[in-house]
Amino acid sequence: MTDNQQVPFGSGMFQGQAKFVDYAHMNQQEVQVNTLDEPVTDTLLRDINMILYKLSYVIIPRMKETQGRKLRNWDLWGPLLLSLLLAMTLGINSNQSSDTIFGTIFIIMWGGSAVITVNAKLLGGQVSFFQSVCVLGYCVFPINIAAVLITFFQSYFGFFLRIIIVGVAFLWSTFSSLSFMSSMMNEEKKVISVYPIFLFYMFLSWFCIFI
Amino acid sequence: MQNFGSNNELDEKGHVLNEQPKIKVKFEPKPKPSKCPICTIEYYQQFFNIEQRDVYMRIRCSILSWKPEFHQCVGKNPDLWGPLWISTTIIFILFAGGNLSRFLLEEDKKHFKYEYNYMYVAVLIVYAMAFIIPIILGVIMKYILKSELGVFDIVCMYGYSLSAYIFVLILCIIPYNEAQWFFLMCGLANSTIFLLVNLWDFMKKNKQTVLIAIPIISFNVALILCFKFYFFRLIYAVDD
Repeated sequence: MTDNQQVPFGSGMFQGQAKFVDYAHMNQQEVQVNTLDEPVTDTLLRDINMILYKLSYVIIPRMKETQGRKLRNWDLWGPLLLSLLLAMTLGINSNQSSDTIFGTIFIIMWGGSAVITVNAKLLGGQVSFFQSVCVLGYCVFPINIAAVLITFFQSYFGFFLRIIIVGVAFLWSTFSSLSFMSSMMNEEKKVISVYPIFLFYMFLSWFCIFI
Repeated sequence: MQNFGSNNELDEKGHVLNEQPKIKVKFEPKPKPSKCPICTIEYYQQFFNIEQRDVYMRIRCSILSWKPEFHQCVGKNPDLWGPLWISTTIIFILFAGGNLSRFLLEEDKKHFKYEYNYMYVAVLIVYAMAFIIPIILGVIMKYILKSELGVFDIVCMYGYSLSAYIFVLILCIIPYNEAQWFFLMCGLANSTIFLLVNLWDFMKKNKQTVLIAIPIISFNVALILCFKFYFFRLIYAVDD
């Protein structure tokens, strides 16, 4: 697992050998790529591909652990983009200070992911810190979709339809992250490691209902 | 060019000749004894050696508060999972439920203003009640009043005593004054009885130890007053 050293975003800053992850053919080839010389579009496209690939895992949650293994190449750009998008979407529509909302969402998302991961580790889970933060961040995507729908199509949605949309998004998010997180834990500790995730997504979903 | 004491011979330019095969030595750093063991994450590992059925049993002991079974449930294994996540659940319920209660009363539902301060105040109050107060009480009990219970036993007990409030606060969303007072009183009774019953063995030792009941009761009363007058206050007039 530690061999999969992902080339960090902005990889133009790092010279030398990099492992080229060929997502199209789903295997890794060790290629000496000097990432300083490649065009910027290549770097960006590679990272965007990586993000989209992981998002496809969130949209169609795979219950088999073997397929979820690709998610272990963690990155934090996806979660960052998603948290910014969520915080901005909820901030736009609110008739109050949007900076309070922005700050609150940001803190909940990153602080919450960190606390849940530490909780899982203390309970004896075989999970790497950043992998877990990455998965929790990516699984916020359905809640993002719900927030965007509610913000931009507000006049079409009554209160109850909002609750249904947010409810579906919340269940979707929880289910997506469940397949990854519960595979890391013992049978006897699954409920107590999954409950914080449930609470976390409920917290985030709640903001979408009333904004 | 400095000689670093290597065995390799160097030519005029300093390049290595006849390079010796390097023997790989696996370097395992010795764990440094930390000056502050409580500050490390590893110290807290011992408080998460529980399984879900232990958590169910402890919450059950707390809801059936009149039975002094908590110390048997816990044994020598106090946990911090319960205090942490029960208090976080209560914070969520205060934030979401408090705003929902105001929303139900609001006439002008389209211009409802969400009160974000509820979250910050809830974090302050609930974490103080679940961690800071029991740590102070635990230290006083252990080091001044010579109790056998450790500081973390008291923290664990306080954390689980708050579990009744989860149900009580959900019911307090109903925006009727009398109903809210009734539920809060039930929660107060349950929580305080749980703490007093399980500390009775300690309190009956002498006249000094009985006095520990006073701060326990007063902090619980202060807590429900905060709940009622900040989070679930019923405002019949729309205010800005």
